[in-house]
Amino acid sequence: MTLAANHTGHPAIETERLRLRAFRPGDDAAMIAFYASESSAFYGGPCEANDAWRKAAVYPGHWALRGYGPFALEERASGRFVGLCGPWFPLGFPEPEITWMLVEDARGQGFAVEAARAALAFAYATLGWVRAVSCINPDNTPSLRLAERLGAVHEYDTAVGSTPVGVWRHAVPAALETSP
Amino acid sequence: MSHDTPSAAPSLTTERLCLRGHRLSDFDAYAAFYASERATHIGGPYTPSRAWASFAADLGHWVLMGFGWWIVTDKGDPGSHPLGTVGLHCPPNHPEPEIGWTLFAGAEGKGFAHEAAAGVLAWGWQHRIATSLVSYIAPANARSIALAERLGAHLDAVAPKPAHAPDVLVYRHSVPAEVCS
Repeated sequence: MTLAANHTGHPAIETERLRLRAFRPGDDAAMIAFYASESSAFYGGPCEANDAWRKAAVYPGHWALRGYGPFALEERASGRFVGLCGPWFPLGFPEPEITWMLVEDARGQGFAVEAARAALAFAYATLGWVRAVSCINPDNTPSLRLAERLGAVHEYDTAVGSTPVGVWRHAVPAALETSP
Repeated sequence: MSHDTPSAAPSLTTERLCLRGHRLSDFDAYAAFYASERATHIGGPYTPSRAWASFAADLGHWVLMGFGWWIVTDKGDPGSHPLGTVGLHCPPNHPEPEIGWTLFAGAEGKGFAHEAAAGVLAWGWQHRIATSLVSYIAPANARSIALAERLGAHLDAVAPKPAHAPDVLVYRHSVPAEVCS
């Protein structure tokens, strides 16, 4: 994993198959397509283009407000936008979390675990987090499996708005580095 | 769009105002406005979470589109307290780019919205962000209609309207000669 920064100072991370980078023009079109499908059900979708555009614009805005945020995920081999992953703390969340989302045809290839490991490492090493969680809808089976694969443990239940979520606490950095 | 479009709001100064990018410390005033009845003309009231998403999306608009929203402040105010917002935006449901404005409680009646909007119109034309600019205004929003007219906009009865707001009035801002050429 390598950490670099673009011309605006926004960090970028490269993993084996992914580039975690700043959101940029064009990503909004991919997000609109994602939010038109049922595969967005655990991410506040499906919804029409205007609402999807606003959801997409929140991510770079979060970076500007918090100084960190979810990265856009790009498949290095193709350059295509495949999702997002990173530290996320909008109003209404119980604590800062690591979020992830993959577009439908990028699922099932291990991209989420690859991105989440990089995002966790970034949160611990660069942001100085001493604790990291992910808030997961109990019906979101793929995300629950991912949390377990990352070594996270279920800590407590709460709600984000009207949505029930389980809060999963991630492994500490030393354990993360030695996980398979 | 040219290659040097900004990804964050550049600071603009007018006679009495400084227009600058959103800061987290502006959020409480923004959320209070969007929670109030005064926001009903522009899609509100919003819950705090929705207001936060809207606030962040105002900033993200700059990254995705190269233009967006500013916070209006009194340039003589060392605390740079937010008085309102003004901006250029073009979400997917807008047939054309729009200039919009809001003033928070207590900032009305001083000509601030006019001064801020005139500054942003000039910036938008200078940076060629669009070849047309309109303002979509609810028919009952008499103050915004008066402001649009004071800015030189005229009611365009045949302009396409946003699908989600078929009853809005479309005020078309006049395009400077140098932008037409």
